[in-house]
Amino acid sequence: MEAGRSGRIAFRALAGVRDAWDELIGLFANIPFGVSLLAIWAFLTMIGVIIEQGKDAAFYASVYPPPIARLIARLDIANIYHSPAYIGVLGLILCSMTAATFTKVIPRRIPRLNPVKIEAIPLHATVRVAGDAAGVGERVAAFFAARGWQVRKREFGGTEWTFADKNNWARRGVLVAHIGFVLIATGTTIYWAKGYSGQFAVLSGETATIPESGARIALERFAYRIDPVRTKAGVVYQPIDYVSNAKVTGRDGTTRDAVIRVNQPYDVDGTLVYQATYGFAINFTLRKDGRPVAGPDHPLKEGEGFAVGGTSRAIQYQRFVGTIDRATGQPGADPRPNDPGVVIQAFDGDRPAGAALIPLGRPIDLGAGYTLEAARYVLYSGFQYRYDPGIPVVGLGAFVLLAGLCISFYFLPARLFVLVRDAGAGTSEVGIAATTVRGYEVFEDRFREIVDELRRSEPAGDATEVQSAPVLGSV
Amino acid sequence: MDPTRQWIDQALLVVGIAAYVTSAFALFGYFLLRNPLLRNVGLPLAIVGCLSQFAELGARWWMTGVWPLTNLYGSLSLFSACAVTIFLIFAYRYDLAFAGGPVLALAAIALGYATTWNEGYMPAVPALQSYWIKIHVPIVITAYASFMVAFCVSLIYLVKAAAESRYARGTVRAAAAAAGAAQPTVAMLAYAASPALGTTRTDTPALTSAAAAGDATALWLTGLPSLARLDVMQYRIIAVGLPLLSLGIITGAMWAKEAWGAYWQWDPKETAALFSWIVYAAYMHLHTRPEWRGSRGALLGAFGFASIVFCYLGVNIFISGLHSYKM
Repeated sequence: MEAGRSGRIAFRALAGVRDAWDELIGLFANIPFGVSLLAIWAFLTMIGVIIEQGKDAAFYASVYPPPIARLIARLDIANIYHSPAYIGVLGLILCSMTAATFTKVIPRRIPRLNPVKIEAIPLHATVRVAGDAAGVGERVAAFFAARGWQVRKREFGGTEWTFADKNNWARRGVLVAHIGFVLIATGTTIYWAKGYSGQFAVLSGETATIPESGARIALERFAYRIDPVRTKAGVVYQPIDYVSNAKVTGRDGTTRDAVIRVNQPYDVDGTLVYQATYGFAINFTLRKDGRPVAGPDHPLKEGEGFAVGGTSRAIQYQRFVGTIDRATGQPGADPRPNDPGVVIQAFDGDRPAGAALIPLGRPIDLGAGYTLEAARYVLYSGFQYRYDPGIPVVGLGAFVLLAGLCISFYFLPARLFVLVRDAGAGTSEVGIAATTVRGYEVFEDRFREIVDELRRSEPAGDATEVQSAPVLGSV
Repeated sequence: MDPTRQWIDQALLVVGIAAYVTSAFALFGYFLLRNPLLRNVGLPLAIVGCLSQFAELGARWWMTGVWPLTNLYGSLSLFSACAVTIFLIFAYRYDLAFAGGPVLALAAIALGYATTWNEGYMPAVPALQSYWIKIHVPIVITAYASFMVAFCVSLIYLVKAAAESRYARGTVRAAAAAAGAAQPTVAMLAYAASPALGTTRTDTPALTSAAAAGDATALWLTGLPSLARLDVMQYRIIAVGLPLLSLGIITGAMWAKEAWGAYWQWDPKETAALFSWIVYAAYMHLHTRPEWRGSRGALLGAFGFASIVFCYLGVNIFISGLHSYKM
């Protein structure tokens, strides 16, 4: 008795869980729900377009009013594309697609062959032709079969129905598109799980190592080409080419010559190395009372700095100026190093103490007996590298997604329900109704053509009357 | 640069703009007056403008050896030429000539605006020196152009739907007055506000009866394709644009992989394109439901095109990123 009661309770609990599960699946498979998720995805994406991503709090505080800057920090909007909310919405969309695929797309793929009330379907027509029902039925079936329709006959309650299907295979289009999405998501996950990427800068004559693969890249020479181009707005200095000549040593220990350009990455053991940036590293010489003292021990790149020994001061190398305008002493438009200089920023503790543009080779007085000279520049090349084993899967997913979209949009699965009835006096009435997966309007012109063609295909004098033109539901 | 070649370039540009402007006037006239003569003037002029634009882009390529899509001038030129081409194809296949006025007007505006970004003949920056520019940019621009044509159809849809519902409301008020009711009945209001209003193949009874009674506006409206037909046309054009936009995003990702090392960088242009893609994907999903065809679909289509304008021009001009190729 007790066991039976607990069994009933367990059964009810299970039934409750099953109901809740069905309800959840029903919700996720619901198109408006899926579209609502798309809307949230779109909204979050647009936030990322409008609000610059990946900046620090100080940047947002300087650009936006304080409440918005605080909101950006609190809601993780500065990195929205990697935020839990964004990834969560993508996860929900995948769940929604999966639920819709298994509950709506696959079960509805090929609907059963059932009779319908022809006049109740908005897209219908009736054609009266000469001949008995059996003969006309055969002719009509042959008519559709000759035009590429898949014709099947079924008998229901002694009445023979003819079903003609076209592009039935295209009912799988949505499924194919959804599979494409899943493949793209899988490929991206493979990169997150197994791939890596990074960036590094190498001075001409130096060597860098990719930590994950151990590949070594020795930069022999970096060269650029920037051409002055006369435009309506004046002379513009247009970059034409950036090229790094390097020697690359891979896992097998063999060193190969590599020419790395923008749009032409170099493959070393499956890791692609890209030409990303370049810059001018500067050798600074620090002197006190005319004698060299400890300063930076390597050429500094833009943004790097050093402390002025024995003082609270620090110097930061901000940017390289290719040409100093001799007339104004200000940076000129030509970025190529004709009469170069550097912009440095001095700090006293954390406080900025001033910036200056100093020509190369000319010392500047820092006070307290210190002088600083930007002695010479060395070109460096900035590289990105990336190993992405998910690429083939993403590529396949993209292809499958596109195929799914094309199947869904350009091949309309349609079904014709044909019922031939004896109309007396040696004539028969052919009732035709059409349904498609995308409503009636989209198929109306084609349906009209089919009906006209059917009427014309009957031997002259046989087609006596078109009883009803295609009609759509009206208000 | 050879002055003769420059002259040819400029002449083709002027011919293109002039043809578009004249064609826009003629096709607007056809839209308003239904005079076939205006259509027969407007469509050939659109073809002339389109051909001269493609010739101009070809001439630029011939003169500089640089694919003329490396800046906003080139891409906007291609955009207007593609929009007119798509319009002409649909005009031929689906009798879309009535939408030619707004399409040609927008094409002329786009081309006119493009000239303000024409800085002359410039070599391509390293990032754009790739065969991908010949694949990715035309695909994306063609997608944008089809959305523009779809937008024009949705505008006409909304104009006609608003007018039809005005006539329906008028009929309801008249019926209520005839029945001696102070207020229209619930059934009458349901008639006026019926969502099926946007999905009927034929015009609503209210519009048809007003046209039969000689109402000039109603007569003019009945000359336009039915709302259901307009809805299907918009759907068909978006069904051209969305796969192209998808292909454009995919080829862009492939190019980005080659140039920058990652197929997706969350660059503002990429994400804005993704936003537009989501909007049109939502449109396509919702279009499977009868209640979302019609006015709601037209509004969503119009919103989608607004997002395209933001993605194309807003991001290029106002937001800095990896796609900031203005000049």
